Amino acid sequence: MLYWRQAGLNYVQFSNIASRIVRRCVQENAKKDAIKREEAHARINKWQDGKMVQTKASN
Amino acid sequence: TKKTNSQFNSLDRSLKMFGAVSLMTPVYTQARGYATLKDISMRLKSVKNIQKITKSMKMVSAAKYAKAEKDLKATRPYGEATSVFSEQAEVPTEPENVKKHLVVAVTSDRGLCGAIHTSIVKAVKALLAEEKYQNLDTKIVCIGDKSKTMLQRVFASNILFSVNDVGKKNVSFMDASLIANGILNSGYEFDSGEILYNRFKTAISYTTTNQPFYSSNLISSAKNIGVYDSLDAETIKCYQEYQLASMVFYALKENSTSELSSRMSAMDNASKNAGEMIDKLTLYYNRTRQAVITRELIEIISGASALDAKE
Repeated sequence: MLYWRQAGLNYVQFSNIASRIVRRCVQENAKKDAIKREEAHARINKWQDGKMVQTKASN
Repeated sequence: TKKTNSQFNSLDRSLKMFGAVSLMTPVYTQARGYATLKDISMRLKSVKNIQKITKSMKMVSAAKYAKAEKDLKATRPYGEATSVFSEQAEVPTEPENVKKHLVVAVTSDRGLCGAIHTSIVKAVKALLAEEKYQNLDTKIVCIGDKSKTMLQRVFASNILFSVNDVGKKNVSFMDASLIANGILNSGYEFDSGEILYNRFKTAISYTTTNQPFYSSNLISSAKNIGVYDSLDAETIKCYQEYQLASMVFYALKENSTSELSSRMSAMDNASKNAGEMIDKLTLYYNRTRQAVITRELIEIISGASALDAKE
């Protein structure tokens, strides 16, 4: 079993961590645009019949 | 003239005692049932303001739409590539294999965009009423407040989770990853699913489409899976997770472009309608103003002629 799956991550999380590091390594002139692509605004609210509001789901 | 004025005033007062409408009606109270000049001018002012607002909303939507369409061109490969895989592999979708289904309804938080949100919600309701979905355990993911408010009335027990704050700023892959993570970590082991979104066709048209996706178990048991080399269970699982995020990303981009173009045309129509209302109201205002002036003249002249006749 892959080491990150054993640690509890799924592929999406794994690939996001890898891309975050790549964006930090990019050259200065492209870095600002790259960092802008990381912004996320969505908020997840779990439901349990009625509405149970919970904090933003982890990356 | 002072004498006549007081005569008319006393006549006026005595008539008023009997509750009759006064003869010498001042300019600003007119017969019941007709709008006064003040009412019409207030209405005219408010409709003009509304026209300004809808015009500016149209400009804003047009600017955002141009950018969104450019982004969409870059995003198309995400959507088309992911759907081709499931089609080529011919995943089995017979009832004995599928017990749990997931429906992802893509809308946004803001309205005033025509039929964008209601078409998605109608599609979800029609889907859940179909024959083959009656025996399935179906859960819904509501992206955007609009689908949440419309679906929670009937399907509150089916909603897995809902997502806010999409659509205000540009959608990034991180948003789609958050949603995909929410689905994967929710604990709901679905066999198959579909994403309902509005596919952008042209600036004035869009279609409500659904994009199916499947669990890694179902994909592993696909007929043509042998076409692809070096696939083991782990690779399929990784690909299925990534495919889900890509599909959600693509659906969000398409839907936001459709929504912006629809809002642009809705606000354009609203401005046109407001313009027509302004024309009609202006004519009515002018007619009323002329009627008021004519009435004043009649009163003066009839008063003067009564005076002459008296003499």
